Amino acid sequence: MNVTTLLAFEFPPINVLLRWQDVAPTINKVVLIGIAAVLIGTGIFLAAARKDPKVAPKGARNLAEVIIEFIEKQIIMQTMGSSGLAWTPFLLSIFIFIYLCNVPGVIPFIQMPATARMGIPAFMALMVWVVYNATGIKHQGPVGYFKSVLFPPGVPKALYILVTPIELISTFIVRPFSLAVRLFANMLAGHLLLVIFALLSEALFQARDRILIPVGVLPFAVLLFLTGFEVLVAFLQAYIFTTLTAVYINMASHAEH
Amino acid sequence: MFFSTIILAAEDMGPNPIAPENKELLWGAGSFLVFLFVMRVFLVPKVKKGMDARYGVIREGHETAQATRSSAQGDVAAYEASLAEVRSEAAARIDKARQTLDTERQAKMAQAAERIASKRAEADKAIEAARAAARGEVAAAVGSVTARATQLVLGKSPDANVVKRAVDSTMSGGRS
Amino acid sequence: MEALATIARIAAEAGDAATPADLKNTAAAASAGYAYGLAAIGPGIGIGIIFGKAIESMARQPEAAGMVRTTMFLGVAFTEALALIGFVAFILLKFA
Repeated sequence: MNVTTLLAFEFPPINVLLRWQDVAPTINKVVLIGIAAVLIGTGIFLAAARKDPKVAPKGARNLAEVIIEFIEKQIIMQTMGSSGLAWTPFLLSIFIFIYLCNVPGVIPFIQMPATARMGIPAFMALMVWVVYNATGIKHQGPVGYFKSVLFPPGVPKALYILVTPIELISTFIVRPFSLAVRLFANMLAGHLLLVIFALLSEALFQARDRILIPVGVLPFAVLLFLTGFEVLVAFLQAYIFTTLTAVYINMASHAEH
Repeated sequence: MFFSTIILAAEDMGPNPIAPENKELLWGAGSFLVFLFVMRVFLVPKVKKGMDARYGVIREGHETAQATRSSAQGDVAAYEASLAEVRSEAAARIDKARQTLDTERQAKMAQAAERIASKRAEADKAIEAARAAARGEVAAAVGSVTARATQLVLGKSPDANVVKRAVDSTMSGGRS
Repeated sequence: MEALATIARIAAEAGDAATPADLKNTAAAASAGYAYGLAAIGPGIGIGIIFGKAIESMARQPEAAGMVRTTMFLGVAFTEALALIGFVAFILLKFA
């Protein structure tokens, strides 16, 4: 007899929570969600691009224009200014892809954010790392870029012994790592919270002691609240990832630190 | 495992909860890159072009509305200017009429005053003449009385000039 | 009371039958809890300060609210990363 079986409550191993059976040897649930995110995003913008742009936008076109304006006004103008408007397609793709990978975590019967596995966040962070470094090298030249990153101007010469290793680690290692881990850990934590409260309410609703059944309302209420919270988190993480990408690109493309 | 050097995965527990799986990473990368390419090259420019075109139409509409409004404002200003002109003309006319009226009245008043003054002068002259005549009569009467009295007292008739002087001096002294 | 007694009995039996692997798992589970709990303290305070200051400045200058909100989310993202690294340590200790 186990302690948890007093409630018939067994927390499954974490890999049961994070995996489906592989559909094919190289395709699993997370892969399917990623592909579906791309297809949905492409579909929305395809439908938007097909509609007559002259009339007042509605439906898919309205949605697409709202997202584009959100990216331009709330992210690019706030972090890069109007010189960064050329980055709209890139940041827009990042935002839509991450959001559509996050949001299955709260869609019933799917309930698995693709970003709760490290694969997609790691790739996105690596890509952002490559992009902002390439932007810096393109705008300032390889020497100028590494000089402005490692030896930021306006620092006393003696402090470089302290500043340079910190800048080296923070720019080239901590930035992509924290981008990936922030997205991944937020979504995994939310997913585990939902699982825990769902299992707890299920166990209480099916308890052998009848007195425990009404108590199950409490974790179920928390579950509903957390589901609403996860909707917010899914949006917020996509927003933060995109904003940080914009900030990093902006930092790399301007010499002043 | 792509990052398997960082985190050692347990073999029989399925995938590591932290380390990225190769297939997820590669499929995610491939699908995102396709998405990025499609968005970058086809979809976003097309949607943006439509948005810009519509905003252009809206801005044009705004500008036409602005132009119409400003021309209407010009019309209103011209109307108001002409109104002010007419008003000032009317005011000038009224002023002119009032002025002519004033000058006529003043002229008439001056005429009347002149007439009154001439009449007063005539009357004054008549009064003066009457007074002078009365004085002459009084002086003659007093002279004759004085000459008679002097003749009676002294027995001889006094010189007429002396009598006249004495009477004049007495009358003027009495008056003063 | 009966449940507590049961738990105590089970714990005693488990202690008798503990293998080194079980002991390691027990220690890992306990330290995982500490890892996350300790990692959450600092970022909790930090995020509280960030939001408080952001609300203050937004109330003082409502016209700068957009800028303040963006910067606030950036600060929250950087602060939160520490707690999330704690969470990852928790997952690593508990499950990996």
